[in-house]
Order: sequence, then structure tokens, then C-alpha cells
Amino acid sequence: MAPDKVEEWIREVEERPSSAPLIIRFIAGRLETLTRRIEELRAENIELVNGRKVEEYERRITNLEYQLELLKRQVGSGALEPAQPAAADTTSLVLFAPSGRVLRVELAATELVPAGVAASFLGEIAPDGQPPYLLATSTQEELLFVFDTGRTVTLPVTAIPAADREKLDWQQAFLQEPRASEELAVALPISRLPLFEFCIQTSRRAFVKKIFKSSLESYLANFYLGTGVKLQLDKMCSLVFGNKTDRFVMVSQEGFLFCSDVDSLPVAIEDVLKLNPTDHIVSSFILNPKSSLLIATYNGKALHRDAGWVEQSSSFKSRGQPAISKERREAGTRVAGAAAVDENDWGLVLRSDGKLVTYTMGDLFGSGSLLAGHSPAQVLGFTTFRVPGSGS
Amino acid sequence: MSLKVGIDFGTSNSGVAASDGSRVHILPIDPKSNVPEVVKTILYITKDYKTYIGQEAVELYYRHNVNRARRFVKQWAGEVEYHGSDGLFYVTDSYVYVDELKPGRLLQYIKTALRSENYNGTHIFERYYSLSEIIAIYLGALKKRAEALLHEDITAVTLGRPIKFSPLPRQDQIAEDTLRQAAYAAGFQQVDLELEPAAAALYYEMSLDRPQNALIFDFGGGTLDITITRLGDPRQRQIYASGGIGIAGSDFDQAIIQKRLLPHFGKGKASSRDILELVNTVSDWIALPELSTPRARAKLDKAIQQGEAPVQLKALKSLIFNDLAFSFYNTVETGKITLSERGATVISLQEKDMDIWELYTRAQFESDIRQHQVQIEQVLLDTVAASGLEPAQIDAVVKTGGSSSIPLFSEMLCRTFGADKVKASDLFSSVTAGLAIKASQ
Repeated sequence: MAPDKVEEWIREVEERPSSAPLIIRFIAGRLETLTRRIEELRAENIELVNGRKVEEYERRITNLEYQLELLKRQVGSGALEPAQPAAADTTSLVLFAPSGRVLRVELAATELVPAGVAASFLGEIAPDGQPPYLLATSTQEELLFVFDTGRTVTLPVTAIPAADREKLDWQQAFLQEPRASEELAVALPISRLPLFEFCIQTSRRAFVKKIFKSSLESYLANFYLGTGVKLQLDKMCSLVFGNKTDRFVMVSQEGFLFCSDVDSLPVAIEDVLKLNPTDHIVSSFILNPKSSLLIATYNGKALHRDAGWVEQSSSFKSRGQPAISKERREAGTRVAGAAAVDENDWGLVLRSDGKLVTYTMGDLFGSGSLLAGHSPAQVLGFTTFRVPGSGS
Repeated sequence: MSLKVGIDFGTSNSGVAASDGSRVHILPIDPKSNVPEVVKTILYITKDYKTYIGQEAVELYYRHNVNRARRFVKQWAGEVEYHGSDGLFYVTDSYVYVDELKPGRLLQYIKTALRSENYNGTHIFERYYSLSEIIAIYLGALKKRAEALLHEDITAVTLGRPIKFSPLPRQDQIAEDTLRQAAYAAGFQQVDLELEPAAAALYYEMSLDRPQNALIFDFGGGTLDITITRLGDPRQRQIYASGGIGIAGSDFDQAIIQKRLLPHFGKGKASSRDILELVNTVSDWIALPELSTPRARAKLDKAIQQGEAPVQLKALKSLIFNDLAFSFYNTVETGKITLSERGATVISLQEKDMDIWELYTRAQFESDIRQHQVQIEQVLLDTVAASGLEPAQIDAVVKTGGSSSIPLFSEMLCRTFGADKVKASDLFSSVTAGLAIKASQ
């Protein structure tokens, strides 16, 4: 409250004494409102403090559950082997194809080089007529493989043999064999699953549903995950974990974005974005307010946008927020992948010449190019990762 | 059978009246309004080009817009040609961000646009509306409502006009022609114009039983119009002098915003030039709604993240992106009106991320509009001087228009002419009634 304002109020009272009771009543009313608000804020603060504690305990529980899972596997495999000293965590680049073939490249933190070639294909890059899916995760993670029939398989990353990074070859790939008429659709790390309330399932044609964590066990047991896709030619393309207030984002190949609070997503499968007949979803993820968005195009552009730029979708019938201009879209520009990113993240690019190249986010933000430091090529795939141990 | 009516097309409010020669009937033209005889001069055009006026327009605007979703798309706006410092000639594409979910456009202070040299019209969605077309839509809606109330076709109208739309004679003529053209386009076959204070004088004259010299002080939302006239005997009716100035209620609202409310949106705390530009736009009712672009949002988000007046800039963001501009200006106007009745009020607006509470006194208000008051007093004295009469020779001072009830100006009139001579006519309807009398003559 500026002192000169008080002086002005006093002047009013001097000129018109009848204003005095009014002014006192207004100020008293405001004080009452503010007092009530302070009380509300204090109560909210206590809840927040408690909430943080809860979150901390949840993290510890997750860690313990993970340790327990590892122990169970050791017991289940026969003899309880003496505990091995924990090896320094590394990053695993996982490439998988609908036919169930999986390649893994293991990289220590010291082997990560900005604009460096992490691995190269010897021959064919796209084994099933389409570029492989990319995933980069901690080597100590557990992977959930989901087939389009809803069948799931859980596997530690280390169960997939590390490939020769200079001669990636699908013929030598690990095979997570599909059953008849079945395709591998999704692979995702699940150690942090207990931290989230929901699992969000997305299909290529933008059909979305959220599954409560409490229901997930029965979904897994009954092969429900990934099922319920409404269109005959459609299939599940991603699973994302999130909490009620998180912002869920998905990006289509033609560059349209859908964004919604997880809480607002449907529990019964529903198409939430009107895609063009030729379009499909390429990425979906949770966008933290402190993160930003990076969109990779096939022609090698890295489009960086603040989280605030992404608009909440107004309805489930919209065409989505365009991330690339109409002119560029009509000229053939398409999205290869998109992700929520922080400055400490790394980007992984699969190029049409068979090279897997890693970039720091700083480089990508700065240059706006996914091809910097290398000869021109098409971008076939894009994902991001964080070096294990460099923060949550 | 056809009928002739009087229409007061005001800056903030309008009205329609009909006279049968002996009695004037002010029509309840806006049944949704608290005062049905007064209709807000507000036009709302929806995306499917349906039009609404008055309280219905306001309610629909709120229903459509407050806290609505937005989606901005970049649209090609044209080409910019320029000579570079390298001597070469360049042509570059220019784009604008358009909110494709915008459900409609609200137009207010339409009459003020008549005095602008630069405002010829505006794009509303895909269509261009000239100023004349905009006014025609509004007048056409008034005509339709009046015909429904009177159960008769209305073919002729006497429209009010201020003494001066503009101090520039050419612009003044353009404004009058535009208003006349709009009335024809609205479907009137005969259009007459009458000075608003002269119309108020005619209404006042009905109450007189002997001739007198009267000063009509018509002070509304957009202009102050003064007429000094001889009234009471139609054969000796004479206008001694007329004067006016383009200062009125909307300028006072602007002064309140600039001097008292901008600090709630970051003035005095925010320091970056970009942000201060946004803050200073708050008092501009035409420019503020246009600020809702992704670029402005990004600037505000960045400043908030950097801790530059975060509370105030959150409020500014809420004002711009939750379509609160109209509520905000209404709140300011209501606060100003309240100060005509009592010494203090609170200008308050509580919305998401916004908690404006400003205790505002009449003394503060009078200090904030002091400059305007000096100019107005000068116009008053100049007009009296031009009439050739001394203040003592003026028998009555008749106040009309919403701003004429502001105590500072009532006191000014009492001081100049004597309190016993100052009379309040029907603040919102005396011009309308006078125009109906003129129409019936």
C-alpha cells in the first residue's frame, strides 16, 4: 500500500467527511478478505509440504519395488546368486521393428559425443518396410513390450544382447517373437510406473484412452492393453504414464498437435484429433511446464518451442494446433518425431544413411538442425534421452 | 401507415422515441436492459455473421468468450516491399496470427470512430465492414425493434449529431455524410440530422411557460456539446452560440486506468520495453483485444518465468487471454459512475490470476481528470463569450448526458452561473425525446 494513496484518502475525508465511514468499511472488508485468503494459502502450503513428503516416499518405494523385482528374477532363475556390485549405469539405444526384432546399443556416458555417430547400420535400415522404432533408456531399466493383440512381455534391458555398434544388422537382432498375425507395437521402460496414476494408450489414428494404474494389472493379465482400437487398419502406437494434472501431448506426422490435461482424457477409447486420411500419430508424451518441445522433421529441422506455446485443445473434434506452416506442409514437410525436452537431454537421430547420431539439446536449440556436422540425409527417426545419473 | 422517429445514436448509449405532436414516447427498445429505454451502443457480430445489439450483445459476448479456448493459426496477410540498405529491392511475405476459434467480434464506441480520420472500417472474419455498414447494422436493428414495438413501418428518422464530430471541418462533413449514408442503408427513406443539444433544448422547452435564455450542457460518453439558445417561444427561438470538445466519459475512464490501474498490470515494476508496451496498451480499448497473440503470450510467459513482476504480469495475461477487457472497462466505468453519488468506491475485478482492488475516492478522480476539466471550463467560457451574453443573462443551465452528473462539472456550472439556475434534465433520454419532437414538427 503506497503511502501517497493513504494521503489521498485522508484528503478525501478532509474534503468530504461523509466519505470516512465508507473508506473504513471498504478497507475493513478488504482486510477481512485478505485474512481469509492468507489462511487458505497457509492451509494450502501445509498440504504442499505434506505432498512433497509423500512424493519422496513414493520414490523410495519405487526404488525398493524395483530392487525386489530384480531379486525375484534372480530367485526365479534357479539359484540365488550373490549380489553383484552395481555397475555404473549406461544408456541403451533400443531399436525395434513390428516383426519383433530388437537391436540394442550400449553407450557409457563418456562415449556420448555431441554430433557423434553412436552406431551405424551395415545393411538394411527398415526391416519391415518402415523405419524401426527408437527408444533410449537406462540399461538398468525393465522394458514392457506390447504387441498389437494386447499381449505383453516384460524384459530387463540387459536381456537384449548388445549389438556391434559399427555393424548394426537386423539379421543378428534379438527376436521377441510375435505370435501369428501379431506385431510388436510398443516398448517402454516401466520402473517409474508406480509414480503415476494413469497409463495413456494412443493409436496411430489418434484414438486415446487413459487407464487407471489400479486397472493396469488386469489389463496386462487379460491382454486388454492396446485393444479396443476402433478402426480396422488402426493400431496402438504408444503408451505414456502420467498424472491427473499433467499435460498430455501427441504430434502427428503432418505436424498437428493435440494437448490436454490427463484428467480430461477419455477412459473409453475416443478419437481426440481429426487427422487427414494420410496422417498418423508419430509421438506422444507428457509435457512438463518447465520443459520445452522439440519437433524433428524428415528434412532435418529441429523446431524448438516453449511449453507455453502448446495450446490446450478446445475439443476432441479439432484438427489440432499446427506446428508447421500450411505452405511447408503442402511442400511435403513431415514430422519424424517429437518430445518434451530439457537442456540436459540428448537427442538421438536415425538417418537415412544408416547412422545413429547423438546431439546435445544445446546444439539442437542453437542450430535448429538435426543434420549438423554430417552430410545431408533424411531423418527417419528421432527420440531423446537423459544420461542415467544426471538428474531425474 | 408510416412513422417518423427520433434516434439518439450515442457513444455509450442510444435511444429511440416517437412523438404524436403532444406527447413523447421513449420506446423500451432494450427489454433486457435495466433501463429498457436506454440501449448500449454495442454491436456483436458472430462468426456466422449474425448481429446482436445492446444487452443481448453483451450477454452473448460473455457467454461466448470468457475463458474460452483459442487456437492461433498463421495467415498470410500480404507482401511487404522495401529497399534494403544494400540498395536492393526486397519483397517479403507478411503473416499475422489469427485466432480461428474466435466466436465473434464486439464493437463498442462506434460513434467515436466517426471522428477519426484513419478509421474507415474493419475486417470481421472474412468480411470487410466499412464504418457506414457497421453503423447501418446497428441503426437497422434499432429500426426493427422500434417497428415491432409500434406495429408500424418507420420510414423517416431525425438523428442526433454532436456540435462537432471533429475540429477539422472536412472530417466533420465526412462524419455527417457517413452517419446519413448509414441511416439510408438501414432502411430509412428520409433522414434529417439535428444537433444533440438543440434536441435536448426542444425537450426542455416543453416544460417552459415563458421565454428564457438556456444553456444546454450535453455531456455524454464521447463529446461535450454546449448550446446557448433562446427558448419558450417557438417564434423567437434562436441559437446564440454552440461549442464543444471531444472530451467526455470514455476519456475519464482512460485517465482512471492510466493513473490508477496500470500498476496492477506491471507499471512501475516491469522494466523490459516489450512488456511495458503491453502494459501501456491496457488503457486502449481498441488495441487491447488485439494483443491476444502467441507472440504476446510468449513475451509474458518469459517475463513471468524470469520473475519480472510475475503477479502483475499474470494478471495482465489473464486480462488479455481470458477476454476480460470488456468486463474490465465496464468495472472502471461503473466505479466512475458511483463516484457521482458518493465520495469513495472500490474498483475491483477478481478473476483467474487477477485480484484487482483499488479504493478510489472522488478527490482522486477529480485530481486525475483535472487537465480535462481545465479544457472543458475553457470551452464553456468561450461558448458563453461567443453568445454575447453574460453568465448572469443566462436563465437556466440544463444538464444532460451521463457525464453531466459528475459533481466536479456540476460544481463548475454552479460556480459560473449560480446553483439555482442549474437543472438536470432526463440524463439519458432528453436528447432522444427532443429528436422525436423535432421529427414530428
